[in-house]
Amino acid sequence: MSLSAAQPMPDSLLAQARAGDRDAFATLVRAHQGSVFSIGLRMLSRRDAAEDLAQDVFLQLYRKLDSIESLEHLGFWLRRVAANLAIDWLRRRPYSATRPLDEGAEVAAQETEEDPLMSRELMRMLGDLAPHPRAVMLLRYQEDRDVAEVAAMLDMPVNTVKSHIKRSLTALRGQMIGAKLIDCEELP
Amino acid sequence: MNENFEDELRRRLRAVDAPGGFTERLMAALPVEKNPTVVAFIPKAARPARQFGVPAALAASLLGAVLFGMHVANDRSLREEQEGIAASQQLMQALRVTSQKLDLAYEAVNNPPTAGDEENRS
Repeated sequence: MSLSAAQPMPDSLLAQARAGDRDAFATLVRAHQGSVFSIGLRMLSRRDAAEDLAQDVFLQLYRKLDSIESLEHLGFWLRRVAANLAIDWLRRRPYSATRPLDEGAEVAAQETEEDPLMSRELMRMLGDLAPHPRAVMLLRYQEDRDVAEVAAMLDMPVNTVKSHIKRSLTALRGQMIGAKLIDCEELP
Repeated sequence: MNENFEDELRRRLRAVDAPGGFTERLMAALPVEKNPTVVAFIPKAARPARQFGVPAALAASLLGAVLFGMHVANDRSLREEQEGIAASQQLMQALRVTSQKLDLAYEAVNNPPTAGDEENRS
């Protein structure tokens, strides 16, 4: 279960976790596990791989806690490590090539009750993007990060991020129109 | 309209919950020590091979090449020396034969056979 972003965490929580308080660390994990797991799930298109990735990210965090300066830095660090680790895993093994389709349906259904077909198709189209543009789209739209933050997270020039977003939006919109999931007039 | 599509993406790409029990599994997997030394998990036998394997192989190859080169050079030098000695011996033999022939010729010129010798011979 993830903690809501609306629930403020005290700054002392990070200090407690750094001091070796495992309960404080568990609280930090619960606050961010949904985002980290979702990045893994939508990058790798597999729940088992996404959970492995999330575990790896939080284990790295546990070892690097001393280098985390603030709760804001923690959020940035986790998303950065999750996205880059997923890109690295995709380079080594193309997870999306072996994606079980029913799993994609499960993911889509979990996300929204309305129009599950559209959500499922969106997941499939997102999975067809190359790893870097896919990571850019997830950090921009799932994590709602601005372009400069996405660029910093992925060690990418801002203009490259903008270019990835523009091309990916055009491709996704075109495919959705082609699949008659949206009308040209509705979402050109 | 473009903003509509982006809003739609934001709505459909909301983060999902991690699987149930994720935090508990993670906490169980955490090392007891916060900053464990990674070296402790690497088998000791594997470390020198990983650290020095390639340089050691290169050094061994280089040493092998040098030793082989020295062996070949030494072998060639020895063979050339033996060939030189053999040639020298052949030359000395040839000179000895020539000298003996010259002695016989000298003998024949300075002491020609007499008539008695001719009669005795026939």
